[in-house]
Amino acid sequence: MIAVKLIPHLLAALCLLLVLLRCFASRRKSVLLTSVCGLSAGAFTVLLLRSMPVVSPYLLLKSLLGVGFLALWGVSVAVNYRKNAVALDKNEGGIVSSVAALAGTLLAAFAAGGIAIAKLSDTALATFPPVLLLLVVVIVAVIVGGGATFLEKQLSPRVTITPVGMVVAVVALLLFSASSILRLDLFSPLSMKVMKGVHDLVHQSMESVLIPDHVFVRPVVWKYIGFLFGKEVGFWGGMVIWFTPPVLIALAVSSRKLPSVGHIRQGAQRRKLLAGALREQRLQLLLPLFSLCVLAGAAYQSSFPTVEYWDPKPIPVVANEGGMIILPKKGDILLEDGKIHKYLFKQKEREARFFVLLTPDGQLTVDLDACAICKPDGYGQAEGSVICYYCKTLIPLDTVGKPGGCNPVPIPFTVKDDAVVIDALTLINTWGATVQATTRVKEGGK
Amino acid sequence: MSPYIIETGGLTRSYGDICALKPLDLQVPEGEWLSVMGHSGSGKSTLMNLVGGLDRPTGGTLQVGGENLLALTEDGLARFRRNFVGIIFQQHHLVPYLTAIENVMMAQYFHSMPDEAEARHALERVGLGHRLKNRPGELSGGEQQRVCIARAIINSPKLLLGDEPTGNLDHKSTIMVMELLKELRGEERFTVIMVTHNQDVAAWGDRTIHLDDGMLVREERMNCQ
Repeated sequence: MIAVKLIPHLLAALCLLLVLLRCFASRRKSVLLTSVCGLSAGAFTVLLLRSMPVVSPYLLLKSLLGVGFLALWGVSVAVNYRKNAVALDKNEGGIVSSVAALAGTLLAAFAAGGIAIAKLSDTALATFPPVLLLLVVVIVAVIVGGGATFLEKQLSPRVTITPVGMVVAVVALLLFSASSILRLDLFSPLSMKVMKGVHDLVHQSMESVLIPDHVFVRPVVWKYIGFLFGKEVGFWGGMVIWFTPPVLIALAVSSRKLPSVGHIRQGAQRRKLLAGALREQRLQLLLPLFSLCVLAGAAYQSSFPTVEYWDPKPIPVVANEGGMIILPKKGDILLEDGKIHKYLFKQKEREARFFVLLTPDGQLTVDLDACAICKPDGYGQAEGSVICYYCKTLIPLDTVGKPGGCNPVPIPFTVKDDAVVIDALTLINTWGATVQATTRVKEGGK
Repeated sequence: MSPYIIETGGLTRSYGDICALKPLDLQVPEGEWLSVMGHSGSGKSTLMNLVGGLDRPTGGTLQVGGENLLALTEDGLARFRRNFVGIIFQQHHLVPYLTAIENVMMAQYFHSMPDEAEARHALERVGLGHRLKNRPGELSGGEQQRVCIARAIINSPKLLLGDEPTGNLDHKSTIMVMELLKELRGEERFTVIMVTHNQDVAAWGDRTIHLDDGMLVREERMNCQ
């Protein structure tokens, strides 16, 4: 099962190493060694950090990915600005470029190794003794490195990879690998940021022109402004930001000037030179196009994160004659075990979903399985936080029970006779108000 | 650097028990027009196929344009033929459903990339400027052979091979084709190896070798026509 989970990550790492080996073909051995070390080091670091509660390996990896994505943007803009820039198009043999090549390789392999290990749950990792785990990591890194070397040798020598092509492919492969892990995925947060940005912009703009009383903005305009408040805004806006770098790089490659052949007298030689340049250009387009596909896969995959979270099925509950829902702390379910326990309360045609949780600071809290701003898709729990399924925001367990933002909406309750007592009317009304607020233009909850 | 564009040493080609070419030592200087004569089955076409990279020898050495053809892979041989050799066949081997200019452009395509203006110019050079859009079936034998010449020279080969190029042409067309080849050779400076059984055609060359039963039996220098 563990091996199956790791297959996409190992394949991504294999492709990544293949690209690096071909890009830095003149330093094949050192690149191979560096990448195997990087893969192992990344995996070790994440393993180590996961055992330390203070530092989050996810933050480290996510920051690395974020920097990589920004670097990709920088490269894509620069390569368009300096279409004939030698530094961006060719591998120079100097010591600076050697160091840069090895440093880049180390970072990329480090991230790939870390992401692969981040995919595995603590439970899965706990099944291995630490020494065996480290040994397996090294062996797998060597196998991936060997496989990449073998495949690189099978590639036609005509296929050359420029540093620009290498950057776009490596970043795309890392983002693809990370997109299946909720806490490392960049696409969903990007979509959310875009959505929030657009909403804020429209809101502020509308306020500044005092809509709807403004003379220039007629009611018909609202029909179009409505698009900006749809849920697709974040997705498509995110896609634009996501796909632009490889598209820019592909444009830069395809609009690169062909060599001047006017001075060559012999037609065959002229054609040969032009055909060679065109072939090279087409081959160089392969990586940006491949990266586009990989990024599309990443965006798709981010919709189905496979993090192992605690998400119990809501248990139906009823209110007593006094309109109170009573949940014993120590019945079939231990309410104070630190996990979220979901319940479903139905009253005629109305219903409310809520959960009870003992936070790490020892406070019992009752909250709706919904927040005040998102579609009520609910929450899951994973290692120190709950996750809003809709916007993928991670909410630390310490802050659950406090209102605001994407936090679960808290519900007043009392503890009586070792049981949690909730007013059913308050619960159902709060749910109704929340759902009404968050589904005005959206679909219903899950 | 060797002054010879073709150098063979003990070159042989056998097909099972049949030895089509017996050990042959041959040197062809760059720019020479060599005629190869002999009866049917004497090994003329076998020699031409070997020199042109269309076939592989079973023994000996074969250097063409500094390239050891025995060491080349199939891809290497294809590259060699593409860049180095132009071939004119007796049967023309033109693609019947393509026009004259398209046949020439096809050779450009396999060499590098098509260039219509250059193909048109090549056909104008061989006197077919008015037949660009005609298919092979609409051309006479001599005209078809001129299309073949345009196709053979379009990629500026260093070596032009002709396997009985005038074999099925009348006397007038033969003279026209040979004059054209001579003129183009003067301009392009390529080496010609012309396989023929026609003494008059062989006489257009600088030197003639005679093969018999796979062996070089005679060699003669010709006076330029």
